[in-house]
Amino acid sequence: MFRNNYDNDATTFSPTGRIFQIEYAVEAIKQGSAAVGLVSKNHVVLAALKRNAEELGSYQKKIIRVDNHMGVALAGLAPDARILSNYLRQQAMSSQMVFNRPLNIQKAVNSIADKAQTNTQSAGGRPYGVGLLIAGFDESGPHLFEFLPSGSALEYVATAIGARSQAAKTFFERKFEEFPDASKEQLIEYALTALRDTLAQDKELTSANTTVAVVGKDDAFTVYDDEEVEQWLSLLDTLSNNRSTGADNDDEDDDEDDEQNDQPTEASESTSAAMEVDA
Amino acid sequence: MNHDPFHWGRPSTKTYGEYNYLISNASNVDRSVKSNSEFPKMHTQQPMITGTSVIAIKYKDGIIMAADHMGSYGSLMKLEDLKRIIQVGDDAVVGISGDISDFQYLERLLDDLQIEDAYDMDQEHLKANHLSEYLTRVMYNRRTKMNPLWNAIIVAGFDDKDEPYLKHIDLLGVSYTSPTLATGFGNHLAIPLLRKKVETEDDVKKLSKEDAIQTIKDCMKVLFYRDARSWNKYSLCVIEKSTKSISLEHEVQVENMKWDFAQHITGYGVPQL
Amino acid sequence: MTSIGTGYDLSNSVFSPDGRNFQVEYASKAVENSGTSLGIKCNDGVVFATEKIITSKLLAPGKNKRIQSIDRHVGVVYSGLIPDGRHFVNRGRDEAQSFKSIYKEPIGLEGLISKLGYYVQAYTCYNSVRPFGINAIVGGVDETGPHLYMVEPSGVYWGYQGTATGKGRQAAKAELEKLDLPNISARDAVKEAARIIHLVHEDNKDKDYELEITWVSTSETDGIHKVVPADLFAEAKKYAEEAEAGSDSDSDSDSDEEMES
Repeated sequence: MFRNNYDNDATTFSPTGRIFQIEYAVEAIKQGSAAVGLVSKNHVVLAALKRNAEELGSYQKKIIRVDNHMGVALAGLAPDARILSNYLRQQAMSSQMVFNRPLNIQKAVNSIADKAQTNTQSAGGRPYGVGLLIAGFDESGPHLFEFLPSGSALEYVATAIGARSQAAKTFFERKFEEFPDASKEQLIEYALTALRDTLAQDKELTSANTTVAVVGKDDAFTVYDDEEVEQWLSLLDTLSNNRSTGADNDDEDDDEDDEQNDQPTEASESTSAAMEVDA
Repeated sequence: MNHDPFHWGRPSTKTYGEYNYLISNASNVDRSVKSNSEFPKMHTQQPMITGTSVIAIKYKDGIIMAADHMGSYGSLMKLEDLKRIIQVGDDAVVGISGDISDFQYLERLLDDLQIEDAYDMDQEHLKANHLSEYLTRVMYNRRTKMNPLWNAIIVAGFDDKDEPYLKHIDLLGVSYTSPTLATGFGNHLAIPLLRKKVETEDDVKKLSKEDAIQTIKDCMKVLFYRDARSWNKYSLCVIEKSTKSISLEHEVQVENMKWDFAQHITGYGVPQL
Repeated sequence: MTSIGTGYDLSNSVFSPDGRNFQVEYASKAVENSGTSLGIKCNDGVVFATEKIITSKLLAPGKNKRIQSIDRHVGVVYSGLIPDGRHFVNRGRDEAQSFKSIYKEPIGLEGLISKLGYYVQAYTCYNSVRPFGINAIVGGVDETGPHLYMVEPSGVYWGYQGTATGKGRQAAKAELEKLDLPNISARDAVKEAARIIHLVHEDNKDKDYELEITWVSTSETDGIHKVVPADLFAEAKKYAEEAEAGSDSDSDSDSDEEMES
């Protein structure tokens, strides 16, 4: 591999104005299994695929509750996510303590985005290696944000992070106009369908590897795991990676953790978009 | 028992010997000091320039609140145009009595809070209940450092459900609510009058806006009669749920006073006829 | 850029033999390819506008605001690395707060920009940090009237009547020069801002964009930095589209008569 001179640290710009270390940190998210999230008028749903290191090992926790009204799904370095979610918990508690009000979701997201930015502008540390989907419900309604190690934090109507997440995004791009009016159950069904699209070919969604979380107007942030998630999995007619739609998708490269190149939209751009200036 | 408040809780000299200021970290009152370094650490022990009562009453469609324009330096009338009810954002007013420099400090805290709140330029703002929680924390925090802000505060406005909201906060960080609230001398002089109109939460529904304003005006008159640290000009705040409005009027004059009894007063401080 | 690859461009705070500081120049490159932002000084205020490139149709429409406030009377818009911009704004807020806590009055624009210039400059001096990857347009109204500045990654700043940064900066600056600045009204400046952003987006037409405009003006906003009201925003957008349609029918795309109205 060609040795890039400009990628040794997060404090060096390349001649084109890119910072490779930040882009690589964004890349680290793809090493983790997928997490998806989407929003309706009243609810936000997160769903994620849990991995276990070995057959007898436990599954990695993918969704962390922050407060009654918010929580995060992660992809990438889980320890980094714990640092960030712990920070969010402190912010949430401080908001309750000082103002007796739930932490504003945008403010919460900005607080960790600004924290992440400091790691990208000075030497001696590294950028965070985790992407987060932050789901929350506050005075202005339901919100879904995507946090990246670059310090970018953008609000989406639906999005996905982690391995093969492009497949989920493609599904979302096709369906997102139906989300605002969807019921909680429909929203979960969409989430699981999108999550299923990220599966490797020989895998299927099970109650052991699937985790779902919901937060909404009258629903406190709730995580569903194991037997509790079965009620939601039963919404899908098939759990295996046997796509009901778009059968022409990319089935060959299921061993690669990278984005699929035959996805038409933006796959090759996603790295730069993460850093992107405008996003 | 010694009824001097400064001696409350203090071991008696007869039993325990001379009071040891060096280990007690207590008040320096009646102490004969040789050098400053021997002095226990001291914070505010009394307010300097002060504002007197703030009073408020709930009525069926909101809250009426009033506080006069005087700042006293002891018995000297130092300021006569001091506005002690301030609007904080669109949804709250704060009336503050007690030390005026501490009031100004709180005013700046609240201003900074407003600026921070508006950074993102969206619609969301601090409501009255958020502000009262914040102020309670500030007051409690300071008293815990044995350095209280010497004020009593009444917060009024709309809460996060857009309902009228009323709260009293004192220098100990204690907060409570009631359909009628007052600080300072108002607790003794105005509360009985206000409670004649509104005794319980149920009576609130029976009180009209006009009645409530008149009650508050009457109280301000009685306060001016009987509280020597009060003044006849005041701020009057009307909070109305049906129009979701807060109107704050200054320089309201105490009206319909009767002073003809004054000529019959005799005694200390009055020229003998 | 003959010295690229000679090693003098690998670390911040290092001069090349011909006296250049490459890392600062590269930081500017991060700015040059991003969406266009502009600031216009008008007769009693400042108008900010930015072209937000929509990188995904899944982004929540109308959210992800990009123009920020440093204090009630100070607005900022920037092009480049957005997280760096947020860092810059947070510093500005700290400066404004600390000034206010000492002097009990809002910070003046001249004083603020000077502090921010120092701060940005400091990030060019050490190899343990990197320069800011943004050009930030800072403006507002203080006791002495409206002010508009732009800070660059080197820490240098200039005062402007109107300025632009990002991908379409050259076309935007050419348009700004045709305006009668700073004599136009705040409302007209809003409309011109919309028109110019719309115009420079032409070169980037394969991607959708969202327009964001804010203003701070003595007559219109009482000296407070605010998002422009919805009706004026709609009017400005309509004006921008009509100006485009007008110039399309013209053979010459940048005749300046049509913007006088």
